[in-house]
Order: sequence, then structure tokens, then C-alpha cells
Amino acid sequence: MKLGAEHLDDLALGSVFLATGGGGDPHVPKLLTAEVLKRTGPVDLIAPEDLPDDAFVAAIGNVGAPTVSLELLPSDDEALIALEAFEKQMGRTLDAVISFEIGGGNSLIPIMAAASRGIPVVDGDGMGRALPEAQMMTYAIRGIPSTPALACDYARNVTLFTTKGTDVYERHIRALAMSSGGMITTVEHGMTGATVKQALIPGTVSFALKLGSFLRENRGQAPALLAPLQALFADSIYGECRLIHTGKVVDKSTRIVGGFDVGNTIVEGFDAGTAPVEIDIKNEYLLARRGEQVLASVPDLIIIVDYETSEPINAERLRYGQRIAIFAIGCPEFYRKPDALNAVSPRHFGFDLDYIPLEQLPY
Amino acid sequence: MRIGIDVGGTHTDAVIMDGNTVVTSTKVLTSADVMEGVANALDTVIGNCGLPTDAIQSVMIGTTQFTNAIVERRQLAETGVFRLCLPAGRGLPPMVDWPDDIADAVGRHSYPLHGGYLYDGWPVADLDDAEIDKAIADAKGKGLKNFAIASAFSPMNAAPETLVAERIKAAIPDAHITCSQSFGRLGLMERENAAVLNATLLQFAERVVSAFLDALRTRNLTCPVFISQNDGTLMNADFVRAFPALTFASGPTNSLRGAMLLTGLEDAIVVDVGGTTSDIGVLQGGFPRESNAVIEVGGVRTNFRMPDIQAIGLGGGSLVSADGQALGPQSVGHRLTTEGLVFGGQTLTATDIVVASGHQAIGDAEAVAHLPKDMVETARQRMLTILDCGIDMMKPGAVQMPVILVGGGSVLVTGDLQAASEVHRPEHAGVANAIGAAIAQVGGESEKIISYQSLPREDAIAQLSREAEAQALSAGAAQESLRVVDIEETEVPYMGQDTMRVRVKVIGDLAIKPAGAKT
Repeated sequence: MKLGAEHLDDLALGSVFLATGGGGDPHVPKLLTAEVLKRTGPVDLIAPEDLPDDAFVAAIGNVGAPTVSLELLPSDDEALIALEAFEKQMGRTLDAVISFEIGGGNSLIPIMAAASRGIPVVDGDGMGRALPEAQMMTYAIRGIPSTPALACDYARNVTLFTTKGTDVYERHIRALAMSSGGMITTVEHGMTGATVKQALIPGTVSFALKLGSFLRENRGQAPALLAPLQALFADSIYGECRLIHTGKVVDKSTRIVGGFDVGNTIVEGFDAGTAPVEIDIKNEYLLARRGEQVLASVPDLIIIVDYETSEPINAERLRYGQRIAIFAIGCPEFYRKPDALNAVSPRHFGFDLDYIPLEQLPY
Repeated sequence: MRIGIDVGGTHTDAVIMDGNTVVTSTKVLTSADVMEGVANALDTVIGNCGLPTDAIQSVMIGTTQFTNAIVERRQLAETGVFRLCLPAGRGLPPMVDWPDDIADAVGRHSYPLHGGYLYDGWPVADLDDAEIDKAIADAKGKGLKNFAIASAFSPMNAAPETLVAERIKAAIPDAHITCSQSFGRLGLMERENAAVLNATLLQFAERVVSAFLDALRTRNLTCPVFISQNDGTLMNADFVRAFPALTFASGPTNSLRGAMLLTGLEDAIVVDVGGTTSDIGVLQGGFPRESNAVIEVGGVRTNFRMPDIQAIGLGGGSLVSADGQALGPQSVGHRLTTEGLVFGGQTLTATDIVVASGHQAIGDAEAVAHLPKDMVETARQRMLTILDCGIDMMKPGAVQMPVILVGGGSVLVTGDLQAASEVHRPEHAGVANAIGAAIAQVGGESEKIISYQSLPREDAIAQLSREAEAQALSAGAAQESLRVVDIEETEVPYMGQDTMRVRVKVIGDLAIKPAGAKT
């Protein structure tokens, strides 16, 4: 299909839902992408199976701190500058680009890049949601080297990374983002079409679009959306969809630990008979518990929405007194395998528990 | 004694207050030119109280005129928008996401320039004198008089905005300028939008303030005049001339503040039941709880401080289903007095239910005598449940809270509310907005991103407090009454330990001169 400016509102809304509280507000990336699409016309969204095995593909997205970038506006040519620098470094032109993560603003950056460069964007991404670190991407988990990678900042400064592993790469790009005002655009994980097919979460761009259009058309109280949302997710790579709690935020506290926004929130039930639910946060919503009972955990998706409108609420906007509903969605098959769980299980985030798939938890 | 005036879309209310006591009040229709209604309301309360005008120490006005001008795209001046953040933000011009009609009304004159700062004080780019001069020359050539200036991280370093404002003033001496730093909060696009909405209203603000002052002067009222803003604090007349946009949403705020005065409750839920909706707000420590969401005014995203108001679709004109199970959100609205059954109309409304149940004597009770008793009871209970759910969701905790009912539709509440520890129906609730305006205080606030490693927390808060106090003083506060009412600290992710976004808010009493003193 063709992705045009008219799709961006729905894509952004769906991507915030899939961002599980992280990923940053896609509003500004959306505006910028719309401006670019106005000039270039729509972009081809290519299904992974239509990608030739010998095609050359790279992942592109923004890295940084959304709070700081409230003042540092992105530019419409950053993605293109980074792409061209990457092609020059690799001595090869790119046949398509793919997203780091479908959750939040990084769902839109590849579209802007693809439009500027006149190439297709792959229908899929490296997370199926938002996650805080580069080594949690499917591409890294499949062992695809993250570098050589090229980064472009607000002032068109371009930086080349050739690091020994994704964990070191993650540290270095984080440092560059901080010295570049808080946000950079990077192109990384150069790979062939054949590799992409082994390493991506497929269909997430078109699914986010469908989800966003559903949320826009069915704006209203969260419990009324459960049945149609269940139908939507049952027919996708995600599967299970549950409404695990409705209530009011009575506490939220987060602190910076190791460069991440870490903390928790407590959500009291609307009716006095329901015990409160606690959500642990590390940029994203990671773990939902009622007392000792786990209701959902990473890598499954935990989504907080406004109770009245079902509009997803990012962790940085979550606050005391908000009336919310909590959904839990099963993660794609990719993240349920041992090699992936090594990077994204609750234990990896510092919780003393193993991943139990959502559908095996009580409901 | 103080006069409080509230200019709403439909009614203009006025009260005279002696301390915290309502001496007299009135409610008149808002006239097409606004000022006639204000004059009528003023004459009525002054006539009623029978005191000489020099007994009035101050006049406080709450008005929706500036909000309505933005919403209706009237009275807006064409405005040049100078943004200093290049080379960042290439291809993302000012007003890019505005609705077309308002972007056209303010003229789409945008001037992206080099300058601004990063979060850590590093310059985004040096200012380019030639570029600035060229932009000003272009704006001058177009005959622009109104300007909004926004630079990256101006809440931390406003020098680029100040410099460009001075250059514009030098080239266009009668320019009306708004710098975004005046709207404190972080978020360049939202702060810039706030500055543009403000700048485009500056001539209208001149006219409105002059008209208010004239109306008062011709009645021999020479006392200071204040206008209320969206956080329940006041600005003096000069401040409004410069910052009309700060009046947005002052109506609901005044209603909450008025409810506080009428009951003496500082922590309570206030339900303003109108014809179509019930607006539910929360008083915390005597002030409205603020919304954290991005606030749209006339379709434009801004960073204004606004009260957190939940509107639910139940009011006196709400339609009732034949079985009494469903009420609202559809409503006959202001046509209630012709379309409701008790007023001789054909539509079953929420007001008809409370008359049929015998709780109110409004209109012709015979017109609803035929309604089945069990249906009336179902509908009556349903109203209470709808309000209960709305109130419950706004409460800050699970415990019951006092509920204050204001507004004409409060007759709909015919029984106990489970979410309420007690229900108050204060006298004078119909003019709560004007009372809220009359008792408003003066505030100021300051916000910055600060690393506590380079500036210790104590010093940082002291510095922000001084800036907030300076702002409150310029808005008319009495120095000795100023106190810090809120310190908000939010850690900034990824930016290293102890990097915080800190906001300090101060509030104080008005510096009121003795009765009879000149402005």
C-alpha cells in the first residue's frame, strides 16, 4: 500500500498505544513527516515477503530524551543526511528502510526517511512495541551487528560508530544524544532482505494504522472497547487482549536510575472492592501486579489509557488523580523464545520473577 | 468593599463583597457589545448597595471575551512570528499544525532565525544580525505591528528573545510584542503558540481594558481594577494589556474559587450543573487542581495553566429516554424554557423529571402529571448515579469528599450522592463566578531545567522563587504577603542524575490601596 499524509494521524495514535508508555510523543515527528510527504507524495509500504533477499535495508530512528527535545525541534532533513552518510560509508545504496520500534515517534521517522530518499519502508519493526535499549531490538537479538552506524544531530553534525557490541553502541549513542541537545537520528543494523525477514516483527506498521483508525472511530469509555479490541488483536501477531484494571492514579513516582526513568504508579480501583494495581515503570510500563499477583509483565504489552476517551497515556504524562484503564496485550512470538527473553524478560529489568505469558496468568 | 464582575457568553454577573460577605448581587444578559451588560450590572449593584463609590476599594473582572475572540477568530491582528532555534527545526515552521482559519486570521508571517540554547546552556547557534535585520525589514514592509518571539530554552535563557524584541522596537516603535518566556513552561511549539495567541489579541486587549476603565470612571470608580486569570489569580489592568491570553478559562476557575468562599471549604468537589453539561472540578488547598494535558484553545496546542475540569453530559435540558434509563448527553440546551414539558414544550427533559417527582416546583407540574411514577423514579436515580460516577472519578482518593453544587441545574440533585461526605448548596451560588473574581489573589511562577550538581537544590529553588515573586509583584501583589504554594520537581530522563525540571509557584494578596486612593 501507499502511505500518505492522510494516514499519519491514525498511525501516530496506534503507535502511542503500542508504545506501552514510552516512545515519546509522536506529535512533532508526525507534523514533520506530513510536511515531507506533502513535497514527495506517498511512500510505498512494502510487505517483508515482497522484499528481495539481496535487497539492502537499514534500521532508522531517533535516540534520546523526549523531555529535553520539547525545546529542540527536529528537522526534515536529518533522516536523509544520516541515510546518505550511511550509504556512503557502506558503499551501497539502500533499497528500503525499517523502523527501530513501532511504539511512539519512531514509527514515523522511517517514513520521513523513505519519502526523502524515494525508497520503500518495510511493513514491520524491531520491537513490536517500544523498549528502552538498542540490545532489546529483534535485529540485535538475531545477532545482526548494529554498526557501522551513522548519527546526525540538529546541526547536521554526522558521527560514525564502529563499536564492539550492541551494549557498547547503546552507551555511546546515548552519550552523543546527550551532548547533542538530547536527540539524534541514527541509521544502523545494515542487513539483507533475507536477514530482515528472519529478524523483524512483521506487519506492525499496517497494524498500528488499523489500530489507530479503530481508536479514532471508537473514541469512548475503555470497557466498551474491550470486545472489539480483542477481535482486532486476536487477528494479529499479538493475540491475547485483556482489560486488567480500571481506576484512579493515587501515586506516581519516578527517578533517574542509570539514565532511565524508573519508578512505579499505584492505581486504585473505582469500586472499593477491587484492590489497587501497581505498575512498575522503566521508561515503559513493564509489570502490573495486584498485591503479589502478576497481571502482566514485559515483554507482553501493558497500556494505560484515559478511562473516558481511551486515549493512550505516556508514562511522562501519567500523574496523580488521572482516571485510567489498563490493558494488557500478548507479545509477538519472537519475544517468547529464550534468546529474546535473555534481553527482555522481567529478570533482565531487575524484577525477581520469570516471564509468564499473559494467557497463562489468571484473569 | 470590592466589586466582582463575571462576563460570560450568556450572562454578566456582578457582586459587591464586604470582606467575604456578599452585600448585593445581580445577573443581567450579556449584551452584543459586552460593555452595555457590564454597565447595567454595575449600575444595579451600586444602586442596590447605596454606598458612595469611594467605598469601593477595587474592582475584579473575569471575562470570556479573549477566549471567544480566539474561538470565533474575531478581533485578531496579523502577527509576525520570530522563532530562534535554527539550525534545529528546519522544515517545521511556526503555526504548522494550526487550523487554517486561525492561521489565515493571524497571517502566517513566520520568520525562522538562528539562535536559542540547548538544555545545558550550549548555544544552538549564534544570533545572525544580518538575518534578524532582514526579517524585521520584511515584517516592516508588510506593515506588521504585532509580534511573537520564541527561542529554544528561553525559560532558561531569554537573552535572544529580549534582543530581538529590542531590535523590533527600534525599527517599529509602535510594535506590540509578546516574548514566549512570559509563558514559562517548556515545550517550544506550545509556548510559541501561546505567545502568538497573546500577541494577536494585543490591540483588542487595549480596547477592552480601556472600555472597562471608562465604564468604571464614568461611575466615579477610581479604585484599582484587576482581571482574573486561568489559575485563580489576578492581574492588574496594565498586565492584561500585555497578557490577555492569560484570561483563557478563567470562568471555571472563578466558579471553583467562588464555591470555596461561599462554603469555606478548601478541599472539595465543585459541580457546576448547567443546561447541557455538569462541569466537575476539584478544589485543593483552596485552588483548582490544574490539568497537565496539552490544552487546545481554538484548535491551537498551548501550554497554558488550566483547571482540570471534567464535563459530563447531564444538565437541566438533558433528554430522557421513554423508559427513564438513559439521560443525555443530548440536550435541548438554552431552549429548555420553550421545549421542556413543564414549559409547555414537547420534549421530556431532566428538569421535567425533578418536577414530576415532586422535588421542584418549576413551570407547569400538570404537564408532567401523566408520567409513570416508576419511570420518573428510575430517571431520578439514574441522574444521581451519573453525577456520582463523575464525582467519584475526579476525587483524589477513595474517601468521600464534600461536594458543592453551583449553577442553575443543581436542582437536579434530589437525593444523597454516595461519593459525597456532605452536599452544599450555598446561597448566591448563581453568581459564584463573580464572587470568585472578587476574591482572587495574585500569583507568579517560574520553571527551568536545572542540574542540582551544578546548582544545589536549595539555591535553585531560591532562585526560582525570586523570579516567581518578581512576576507576582509586577502583577500587583503585596510583597509581604507572598508565599510559595507549590514546588514541582520532575526528573528528566536520560539527562544524567539530578537533572530536574523545577517549577515554583507563589501567591499573595493584592496590594490594595485604602479606599478613595487613585489608581
